[in-house]
Amino acid sequence: MLAQISQWFIWLNQTTGINLTIVYDSYDRGRMIDGFLNTIYLSLICLVISVIIGVIGAWLQRSSLKWTRRLVQGYIQLFRNTPPLVQLYFFYFAIGSLMPKIENKYGIMQPILSNWDWAIISLSFFAGAFNVEIFRSGIEAVPKATVEAAESLGFNRLQVYLYVVLPLAFRVCLPALSNNLVNLVKTTSLAYAIAVPEMLYVANQIWSDNLNVPEMMTFLLFAYVFLVGILVWAMNRLERRLQLPGYGG
Amino acid sequence: MKRILLGSAAVLTIMFSSIAIAHADVLSQIEKRGTLVVGVKADYRPYGYLNPSNNIVGIEPDLARDVAKALGVQLKLVPVVASNRMQFLDQGRVDLLIATMTDTAERRNVVDLVPPDYYASGVNIMARKKSPFNNWESIKGAPVCAVQGSFFNEMVARKYGAKLVAFKGSAEALNALKQGRCAAFVFDDTFIAAQLQQQQWSAYDIPLKTIDSKPWGVAVKKGETRFARFMSGMVVHWHVDGEIIKLQKKYGLTPIAYSVRMHKFFDDNFVPSAN
Amino acid sequence: MKSRNSVAKPTDLPVLMPIAERLTRGRGIGLSYDIPRLQLRAWHGLFLLGVLVFFSASAWAQQSPDHPATLAQAFIRWMPLLLKAFVFNIVMSFLAMSLGTIAGVGLGVMQLSPTRPTHAVGWFVTQFFRNAPWLVLLFFCMFLLPFRFSVFGVTVPFPDWIKATLGLALPVMANVAEIMRGAVASIPSGQWEAAHSLAFSRRQIMFGIILPQCIRRMLPPWMNLYAILTMATVLASIVGVSEVMTQTQRVLSAENRPEFIVPFYAFVLLLFFVYCYPIARYTQKLELRYAVRD
Repeated sequence: MLAQISQWFIWLNQTTGINLTIVYDSYDRGRMIDGFLNTIYLSLICLVISVIIGVIGAWLQRSSLKWTRRLVQGYIQLFRNTPPLVQLYFFYFAIGSLMPKIENKYGIMQPILSNWDWAIISLSFFAGAFNVEIFRSGIEAVPKATVEAAESLGFNRLQVYLYVVLPLAFRVCLPALSNNLVNLVKTTSLAYAIAVPEMLYVANQIWSDNLNVPEMMTFLLFAYVFLVGILVWAMNRLERRLQLPGYGG
Repeated sequence: MKRILLGSAAVLTIMFSSIAIAHADVLSQIEKRGTLVVGVKADYRPYGYLNPSNNIVGIEPDLARDVAKALGVQLKLVPVVASNRMQFLDQGRVDLLIATMTDTAERRNVVDLVPPDYYASGVNIMARKKSPFNNWESIKGAPVCAVQGSFFNEMVARKYGAKLVAFKGSAEALNALKQGRCAAFVFDDTFIAAQLQQQQWSAYDIPLKTIDSKPWGVAVKKGETRFARFMSGMVVHWHVDGEIIKLQKKYGLTPIAYSVRMHKFFDDNFVPSAN
Repeated sequence: MKSRNSVAKPTDLPVLMPIAERLTRGRGIGLSYDIPRLQLRAWHGLFLLGVLVFFSASAWAQQSPDHPATLAQAFIRWMPLLLKAFVFNIVMSFLAMSLGTIAGVGLGVMQLSPTRPTHAVGWFVTQFFRNAPWLVLLFFCMFLLPFRFSVFGVTVPFPDWIKATLGLALPVMANVAEIMRGAVASIPSGQWEAAHSLAFSRRQIMFGIILPQCIRRMLPPWMNLYAILTMATVLASIVGVSEVMTQTQRVLSAENRPEFIVPFYAFVLLLFFVYCYPIARYTQKLELRYAVRD
């Protein structure tokens, strides 16, 4: 069956010139599957970390210390108003070179954080800067009365935040959050620039080796739209499940 | 309402429809517009690199200038990288590629690589002197920096099992090597040799036996036979006159064996006419 | 602030405050009173300069003695080139924004069309280009558009930076369409009905009544999009357009000095920050102003 499909794609290449090596060439297929999985992996990790950054940042932004708030605000503005690609280069090539180094088995002093690590850090911080604002606006939608009620029940500050404010705020900002997470998945393609073998990187290698740019390009577009589609679907389901009675239409 | 719809539909149509490409012999086009557009490297010192006044200079830009002079037209240089150069030629963005491009059978299917070839290089790696690489098999599993679009990437990864870390250009790859992000950098030996002449790379060398030594070709778009014939003449002329050897000396390189051999071969077998 | 949110149905559970619509816009969220606004004063600039000097100094410390040029000299030498390249980024952003907005409004009108096929096509195009990564669209336009084309016998050249601009205009178009759809949806449907009853045609209602009101609501997210687009113009470096990132990398390659990487990249970050931050601030201001007036 598989062999027949491969045969058909080889035939397609010979007759029409449409060269989808990712179907019939096992090496290219393996690369592309890895790339696809790497994109998912990178997206998921950054997704989780950026949400954590968002929660912590929103919490710090309500701190009573002026400088903590300023620091968070500075972080947000810096990351939101500079290009993520330059951030990535800056982290990887500039900050990365100042990191401590350890000797690897090839006798080379290797910086402790790899391109993977930097891609994760840089993209998470980028998306996190947006998440802070999103969570903050969600938190502000929780009325003071609710917080006071929780406090009067003996919750401390952290408990109020974790058990009362956050669950409510999370529901409010889900639409904005899912929007930002979609952006994050799309932004993972930038990791190409620092040689993280995600989908765009692999596609580029394949079209360099086989000179089949249009085919790979089309494949890429549909693969990303597919991934984003899944995320949007999942977020919509989550939104419906978490819906509070009387809110949202 | 309808008119708006039609309008927006028209905008979309213009944006997405495949548009007919004007076609005429490229040589007459060059003469008509009075400019020769050549794709060269801008990050491949000393073959093509940028100077502070934003001009691309180097061995290949000098060769391109020679072609423009012979045609009696202006020269326009377009910076290309390995992963886009053939697309540029195919689309007609450039008339000619003199861009460190190795002459391979696969590429001959896509573009016209003009005989004879003008330069040659093989594949080697650049690594720290104390690194454990002594043959190609020893790079198996090692993280090796590379440049996206080099034809030997696939071989190095597939045959020798190196873990390739490919960047957009050689500058990023060299950076990554210097920072210890890869154990070696796989690239053209000519490029590595030129780099090693610099003091900052004194701790590095070129440890392996050069493999897959292949000549570099000047490329024109497939089917442009008239221009290809003209370029053949140009390359022969460069070999006869020792032009390429002169340029290598001008940019501080030791002339490579291929250039010397070609110069001798054409000098012995080719008698130029009147001049 | 009076609630203009129709979804907040009356309930006896005092669970949530009225959800301001601006929350769902993602980026442009107005700041409330207890968050310090980041206001740039002279010392902020000095601070950034200090960071730059610090990195320059560290670069200088790493510098080997046999190199003649210092970092300051290198900066002076390459500054005109880099600034020119940055202006090029801005030009690309203006063009892509104009093109994208025009096409996006068309697409938005298509999406709002009562005819089913038109609506479906508009919706599909919007979703497709909104959900594809900018970089992939850029590659798409770069490699698959011809370098020139002929319309009625006139050959129009199509240099790579224009292709990149088109590639950037595509996602802008889809986002503008989405912004417009959201803004139109925020106008109470009673207005449509009222206008219908006054015998206005659909087109008259759209362009005479609904859209003028939408412009005010569309402005903040539209400006946001512009800032995002400006920052996306560096992506063109990956496909070989000579914009500021490309030039910086070429400069670094020509200088061949690894210790220059930090200050030069920091400089690029600074350029974008200086350009985009005021836009972001102004967007916030507009949002707050409109929020109060509602």
